[in-house]
Amino acid sequence: MRALHPFTLLAVATALPALAWILPAPGGGLATAGIAFGLLGSPGLRRGLWPALVAAAPFWVFLLLLHDVRTTVAIGLRISTMVASFVWLAAVLAPDRLVEATVARGWSITAAYLFAATLSAVPMLKARARRIVEAQRCRGLSPRGSVANRLRALRALALPLVLSALHEVDERTLALESRGLVSGARRTSLAPPPDRVAERVVRWGLLLLCLAALVWRLA
Amino acid sequence: MTRLALEEVTFWYPATRAPALREVSLEVAAGEIVALVGKVGAGASTLLLVAADLAPRVTGGRLAGAVRRRARSGIVLPTPWTQLSGMAFTVWDEVAFGPANLGWPGHEIARYVDHALERLEIASLAARDPVTLSGGELQRVIVAGLLAMDPDVVLLDEPTAELDPAGARSVWRLLRLLAGEGKAIVVATSELDAVPDVADRVVWLEDGAVRAIGTPQLLAEDAAGDGGVGTTVAGIWRAAGLAPPYPLTVADAVRRWP
Repeated sequence: MRALHPFTLLAVATALPALAWILPAPGGGLATAGIAFGLLGSPGLRRGLWPALVAAAPFWVFLLLLHDVRTTVAIGLRISTMVASFVWLAAVLAPDRLVEATVARGWSITAAYLFAATLSAVPMLKARARRIVEAQRCRGLSPRGSVANRLRALRALALPLVLSALHEVDERTLALESRGLVSGARRTSLAPPPDRVAERVVRWGLLLLCLAALVWRLA
Repeated sequence: MTRLALEEVTFWYPATRAPALREVSLEVAAGEIVALVGKVGAGASTLLLVAADLAPRVTGGRLAGAVRRRARSGIVLPTPWTQLSGMAFTVWDEVAFGPANLGWPGHEIARYVDHALERLEIASLAARDPVTLSGGELQRVIVAGLLAMDPDVVLLDEPTAELDPAGARSVWRLLRLLAGEGKAIVVATSELDAVPDVADRVVWLEDGAVRAIGTPQLLAEDAAGDGGVGTTVAGIWRAAGLAPPYPLTVADAVRRWP
């Protein structure tokens, strides 16, 4: 799946939530959520299944508090589709391949970087959070135990994480500027991902499917 | 030929009253290595940012005076892990990030990247993921990324901070080679013992102003010793009560030993 063209992956991850909201509930949402979680459950990607379920769960709780069961299921399935699609996209889309693909199409490098950097920031922040937790443990802070303990540990983790991330943004901006990542730069594509005819057909097919569903719903 | 000239440059960071640089004038010629020395906060890093056209253009702030750049410059900042592009999964792609942004043809990029990797002795790391590298390896990757862009003015902020002694020596040797090829080099460093063998000139900064400019012999003077920018050997010689002029390096000391 990771070998697919980045635009194909983006098209799938965009079409599923779009269809979830366009198609009638709960059947439409159930189908798209099923596909999204099915993609996420495919071999090699199962690690993303649990975070997607955890991320979607609070929405269900709040929806249930605010609405009846019927509405909760309708909106919950749609939101779950969105969450699962994004987690799946983050798992299969390599930021560097996306940049290469957009650059090969002549898109702005800065716009491509903005998207790619957002995806690549997740593992970097995870690694830094791990280092901060280890450092805080060395200084006697335990992230386990009672809720109060965990909240204290969360504060000790969040503050250095946010501050160091902000500091890094400054330095990274300077570094990227000095390495030629400036607005209007015409970047050379080093290894543009192959874009097969079949994938282009799939992308157009998804677009037409969304449009057709929209017309059908509005008619 | 002058590649970079600062004339009476004063620079203020945003929302600060005290300038980080005060009336600094400096010219750097092609083939010359200038070392910036001074205590932490003396202004060396800021001077490099100004020289690289990053301050105030990117950092914000205000600049008085004039900066003349007659060539393309490149800068290496002190912390290597914040300089990763975040868009490369191999060292080769990381080094190619800059040249690709310049829009060079693919074959030119490949030539410069391979050459830079060889020069930094990291060709064997080409296929590694940059985030798996040690600090020293990453430092070399970042320097290689700069060299692959073939700048005429090379600006380096503590380029050996993450390196072991052998790695540091290799970088200093490389700087001499680059100067020999006509590149103008400005390096801010706290590794004062390496400066005499590397730099043609030393600029001693204090509180954002130039305290003294001269040959590396400057680092063996009493004032430098008092100001905390003398070399170790000069400091030992002085502490032993031996007569000036103090030696700069171990080799100097051996020659002068009574």
